[in-house]
Amino acid sequence: MSQINLKEIKAISYKKATIKKGYTDQSLRVNLDANNIIINPIEEKIKNKFIGGKGYDLWLMWNAVKASTKWNDPENAICISSGPLGGTPGYPGGGKSIVTAISPLTGAPIDSNVGGYFGPYKKFSGFDVIQVDGKAKEDTVIFIDGIESKIKIFEAKNLPSDSYELSDTLTRYFDEDKPVNVSVVTAGPGAEHTFFGCLNFSWWDAGRKRVRYKQAGRGGIGTVFADKKIKAIVARYGAISMKSNNPADFDGLKLVTKTHAKEINELDPKQNRMSLVGTTHLVPIMNDHDCLPVHNFKFGSHPESRVIGEEVYEHIFDKGFDGCWKGCTVACSHGVKDFSPFTGPYRGKKVFVDGPEYETVAGCGSNLGIFDAQTILEINFYCDAYGLDTISVGTSLGFVMECFENHLITTDHTDGMDLSFGSRFNALEIIHQMARGEGFGAIVGKGIRQMKQIFAKDFGADMAFMQDIGMESKGLEFSEYITKESLAQQGGYGLALKGPQHDEAWLIFLDMVHNFMPTFEDKAEALHWFPMFRTWFGLCGLCKLPWNDIVPEDNKNTPEPAKVMKHIGWYADFFSAVTGRKTGPDDIITMSEAVYNFQRIFNLKMGFGTREHDTVPYRAVGPVTVEEYESRQKRYDEQLKEKYGLDISTMTSKDKVAALRQKREEQYELLKDAVYERRGWNKNGIPTIATVKRLGIDFPEVMEVLKKNGIE
Amino acid sequence: MIEVDGKQVPWSENWTMASLLETLDNVEFCAVARLNGRLVSSPKFAETIIPDNSKIQLLPLVAGG
Ligand code: SF4
Repeated sequence: MSQINLKEIKAISYKKATIKKGYTDQSLRVNLDANNIIINPIEEKIKNKFIGGKGYDLWLMWNAVKASTKWNDPENAICISSGPLGGTPGYPGGGKSIVTAISPLTGAPIDSNVGGYFGPYKKFSGFDVIQVDGKAKEDTVIFIDGIESKIKIFEAKNLPSDSYELSDTLTRYFDEDKPVNVSVVTAGPGAEHTFFGCLNFSWWDAGRKRVRYKQAGRGGIGTVFADKKIKAIVARYGAISMKSNNPADFDGLKLVTKTHAKEINELDPKQNRMSLVGTTHLVPIMNDHDCLPVHNFKFGSHPESRVIGEEVYEHIFDKGFDGCWKGCTVACSHGVKDFSPFTGPYRGKKVFVDGPEYETVAGCGSNLGIFDAQTILEINFYCDAYGLDTISVGTSLGFVMECFENHLITTDHTDGMDLSFGSRFNALEIIHQMARGEGFGAIVGKGIRQMKQIFAKDFGADMAFMQDIGMESKGLEFSEYITKESLAQQGGYGLALKGPQHDEAWLIFLDMVHNFMPTFEDKAEALHWFPMFRTWFGLCGLCKLPWNDIVPEDNKNTPEPAKVMKHIGWYADFFSAVTGRKTGPDDIITMSEAVYNFQRIFNLKMGFGTREHDTVPYRAVGPVTVEEYESRQKRYDEQLKEKYGLDISTMTSKDKVAALRQKREEQYELLKDAVYERRGWNKNGIPTIATVKRLGIDFPEVMEVLKKNGIE
Repeated sequence: MIEVDGKQVPWSENWTMASLLETLDNVEFCAVARLNGRLVSSPKFAETIIPDNSKIQLLPLVAGG
């Protein structure tokens, strides 16, 4: 490769803001139309209401975009923020970044919570949040240098095209001597050619002396990044300590950090062993509970899943410290050394694969009928290198494979490729095509919602069947859990603001296994409390895993074990210690509720955010086909007889599928009613005036959007 | 003898994970256990025989992704 060429086209020096109690109280805007670099103060009232992280991102985006803004309009803004607690070394999960943009898949705001060092480095360089808008004419690199207090925009030539090599090259370019000072955000060629491009956020792994990556995967923010011709955003900063956030109560911060970290050190080995196996322990657990997606979410288990779970990956993962944040004792971000791909541009070379996590194993493994740990690693590697979201890739390919097996599409449409379940080489070839923007892969890269239109219009495929089996809602592909037997989790997906991602609420076990929420009101309460609490991690710059993946030994004796109240108490102490705002567990919910409702109204502003958009495909609710019904006939027959009181003696399987569907779809609509009521929304799923006033988000522009939608 | 969450418990022949849990208090959240290092989930508790000298860890509530 020729020498990389970065031509400086704009540079400013700035006076670095002093961090006070977790905040710099400044935002940075980079406008690529005019190459403007603008530093703005953040007002106290915005800080108090939006807290930071996703809250700041959404506020800046709200002001940047119009109702008519599309994902590829210049005013679409990519915002990245780590909240006030982000950048606390040693606090488990204490260094996340939250990224938002208008999504190419959904047309509405999307948010992604991601590890790596970028968010904290950017904050300590002087900016709580960065907004990048406009569109560059040439490939561009943005450099935030918190050591020299300079911001630079470069025109870039001869950069490697894939994320894997690009992050490494830029890390060494910007600080050859101390690569640990650099974190790089990149996309890749897949992000250029698909609608589900992801962003890779890097950190320097000092033990292995290499760049590592975490992905802001969901909703195609990488695609927006590539469309703006951004090759990379780089942050550089020096040493970080627990004092870097200038906390209000340093001793309090030290105490709560030590307490939480110590508990994880002691209990993770006895519980999920995430420091050894990451989240791959979930594969056998989900399989045994019939919740692991198999063959496009048709089934929930498969006998061969044992070869793609923790028992295999524990031995493949490279041993060493795997925290995607400094000193995170969960240290679950594992990887595989010296992997040699058998296809594509890296064929035969040795690479390091960051992953896989549960979602990738389930989405790109069992869901595609691929029960081969090596192929899953290769898919994981190329998705990261190309900048593709493994969840959307897995769920989209599952849909394609089911369409293929049902002859809705044929080899005439797939460039001659057999795309039956289990076709691992052809699945990989589709991924390479996505990166090149060629062939059938270019169609798959548009995501399920657009594929349904294309298959129906151009290939004459049955739209009604595709609506039932296409695992997307709001335009976003489902993450990797089977929800057929958990009404609450159907709501957890269908009522999630950005689309079916499990980060708002994961209620499957509470609902399905433990039956702790038998009534609609119980489910509605859970679908209020959990999304509100979990939103808070995104406001503060934290990872959710240390909250409830490792729990105190006496947690089961508490009144509400699922909430892990002891940890919530620690999080409240953490917030109080850094910001000086005396905070209790209830305050956490109130903080989140304001931002959560604001995001719902943001969806409304963009033309979504009402009841009709909270629908899910029937595959998420119950068995679509006779094959599916008969595979779990005993379960479904019993429900029809006992739960719904039907006489099924003369019914065919087809009749039973229809009867069960009617009942389950009714239940889902009743659930929506109950959740809307609990959240203070009207029957159409819109926050009422009383709700926005109670939460203090009754800004004139918010009231204007509500008024336009008949809420006065 | 078997060890359950670090405590010694007398072993009985043909004991299954399900029958063990019946003898313990406060285990309604236990949907997954480790039996000699291997994960066993609640749908398999009734068919999973516990050998003598086993080491069992009852995992807390499964939290998902
Ligand atoms: S728990 Fe895992 S994903 Fe979360 S910050 Fe720590 S290492 Fe990263």
